[in-house]
Amino acid sequence: MNGHDWNGKIIFHVDMNSFYASVESNHDPSLAGKPLAIAGNPKQRKGIVVTASYEAREYGVKTTMPVWQALKKCPNLIIRPPDFTKYRAASAELFHFLEEYTDLVEPVSIDEGYMDVTSNFKKRNVLHMAEEIQNRLYKELGLPSSIGIAPGKFLAKMASDMKKPLGITVLRKRELSQKLWPLPVEDMHGIGMKTADKLKQWDIYTIGDLAAYSVDSLKGRFGVMGKKLYERANGIDYRIVDPEAAKEVKSVGSSTTMSADVNQKQELLNVISMLSEKVEARLKHKQVCSDNFQITIRYSDRKTITRSRKLLNPIFTKEEIKTQAVELLERYWNGESVRLLGITGLEVIPIADAYKQLDLFSYKKDIKEAKLSATMSQLTNKYGNHILKKGHNHTDS
Amino acid sequence: MHFVIQREQFVHSVQHVNKAVSSRTTIPILTGIKIDTSSEGVTLTGSDSDISIESFIPKTDEENEYVDIKETGSIVLQARFFADIVKKLPGDEIEISVQDQFATTLRSGSVVFNLNGLDPEEYPRLPKLEENQTFSLPQNLLKDMIRQTVFAVSTQETRPVLTGVNFENDKEQLTCTATDSHRLAMRTVATETDNDELSISNVVIPGKSLSELRQILEDTNDHVQIVVTDSQVLFKFKHLLFFSRLLDGKYPVTNNMIPEQSKTTMELSTKDLLHSLERALLLSKEAKNNVINFKTLEGSVIEINSVSAEVGKVTEKITCQSLEGEDLRISFNGKNIIDALKVIDSEFVHITFTGAMSPFVIRPGDHNQMLHLFSPVRTY
Repeated sequence: MNGHDWNGKIIFHVDMNSFYASVESNHDPSLAGKPLAIAGNPKQRKGIVVTASYEAREYGVKTTMPVWQALKKCPNLIIRPPDFTKYRAASAELFHFLEEYTDLVEPVSIDEGYMDVTSNFKKRNVLHMAEEIQNRLYKELGLPSSIGIAPGKFLAKMASDMKKPLGITVLRKRELSQKLWPLPVEDMHGIGMKTADKLKQWDIYTIGDLAAYSVDSLKGRFGVMGKKLYERANGIDYRIVDPEAAKEVKSVGSSTTMSADVNQKQELLNVISMLSEKVEARLKHKQVCSDNFQITIRYSDRKTITRSRKLLNPIFTKEEIKTQAVELLERYWNGESVRLLGITGLEVIPIADAYKQLDLFSYKKDIKEAKLSATMSQLTNKYGNHILKKGHNHTDS
Repeated sequence: MHFVIQREQFVHSVQHVNKAVSSRTTIPILTGIKIDTSSEGVTLTGSDSDISIESFIPKTDEENEYVDIKETGSIVLQARFFADIVKKLPGDEIEISVQDQFATTLRSGSVVFNLNGLDPEEYPRLPKLEENQTFSLPQNLLKDMIRQTVFAVSTQETRPVLTGVNFENDKEQLTCTATDSHRLAMRTVATETDNDELSISNVVIPGKSLSELRQILEDTNDHVQIVVTDSQVLFKFKHLLFFSRLLDGKYPVTNNMIPEQSKTTMELSTKDLLHSLERALLLSKEAKNNVINFKTLEGSVIEINSVSAEVGKVTEKITCQSLEGEDLRISFNGKNIIDALKVIDSEFVHITFTGAMSPFVIRPGDHNQMLHLFSPVRTY
């Protein structure tokens, strides 16, 4: 590639291959080169494979496969429980390393991120740079990776998926018709099974079908997302690489505009109950909680206030969220007509990182509650629900 | 009013009473220090209406003459300025005289300060307490008791009664308890009283009062007299009276909170544990939760670790003197344990656990006059 007459962007999508498994074998070199799986609960044969090393994949071991099935495919499979402390530390190292090349590094998840290397492009051959990054990641951090290179985030992401492990794929706009459009539509990043099914009802089977479809019909059927999908399929993606983006995903909330201005307290309380339920569901979906909840009140004259309160312990249930929101409402609502109400959990933290300081006077309640939730998670473990969902999220790590 | 006083004695007294003066009082006169002179000596008073301190400087004692009283009377002077001024005066003596309109002159060496005083008639009178419930303690013991409990009071106003230390007696046994509902510190001592019917219960002294009192208490065996009423407590020293308001409300029953059984017990060096926790806290402080993980290993060894997603992790093993009972994994706020270990003067501590989500107790290895109770943190 030649940088002289280029005025677009060059984006890398750097994606680790079997990240958890790589980190485990870095910590325990005896695992290197062996079939290894990270599974929810290795003692129970019913645990589910979260990640498998490429050696294990050769035997047919796949993510989301139950342990017993994986062992059948690969009898000498080594199984380890996940250790997120290790993975987070390795992840931090990974992003520090990428920042050596450019400040414009945006972590997307624990093991993948975007880099905007447009400014590097003026100075050196970025294909060589990608090779160097891949080699050094492998040699210095022990992390195999795949890199996608494209003029936008979406294409870079699609490119990094095209060759694994240790692939480098350049996806130019003029190559879309050969490289991207023949792919089935469900392979498109951002399209889940449900959306794919709906698209198929419209005879959209490949990304190419989507790219050629009427943007207005897509917009009519799927709203803003329809338009975005159309643009992505056509390689149009103006999103910038934002190093702060990962930090910004720090609040989870819900708000609603009333059909008519409300000045009855009971009605506002009903709205708060409804919002608390929604916020609980969203927190749960993202597997996070918060110790800092905020309410937003917009009055009928459009004047808007937000008031928040920091708590001792992170919370995530609708009852607790409601209690906080009601207290804030009672304290700060001036009694005038309200047009919009919102509840937001600020600075959310992963549930796995959350702690609750128990109370000497009431810890027995928590013991009861913990027993109950342990039973519940045993049940979900048994049926693989929870872990299945997780596995699907980082489909191929 | 007109007198000449030894500067050192006077500065010392002013500093004592100044501890009670708050600049944020709603009663303007209380921003001042009141000075009264009588034929016996000089009395200084400072108060924020929660705490009041009265310090007396006698005209003479067995050895020295401290004050030369030329004319008796009273004045109130702005504490903010007055306390700093007397500290910085150059001479060995200070001469104070009040003229018309409360105009006051301070002379020391060749320095003259003219200060505008306030009307002493406006200054509230200190309460006269009924001295039915009285006992005494050596100053150094009371000082220890405060040091060993007051750190555990709550700083949250959500449950005001927990911002104080609860005093209770059972015959000659006096027990002080402080808790912020996450940790609890309890200290017991023997008291001396002439009163067979001494009955102290639900006497909750604000933590702030005790912290101020602690600075006045000296490392001596000299006794301090303690007078308790329904709403006030008075600590009587030879030349100083320290009054504090008591907190309203019922202090929670805490005796039944101390677990009687145990599942895992251990004895280990106080210093080893303290230093290990301090190291572990270097990382968990970063995570802002002070959470430390603790587990038992084979062969009387415990492991302490803490993790910060950004910084890294630390693991440390300590060999205990003894370790018995079930295996245990527990997480707790390391800062709370450190606070307690710092006030335990014994070489070894004895720790009793009753499960990963139940309170645990730390006691000094060589006596049973003190215990610290902690609730763990729950992980999800």
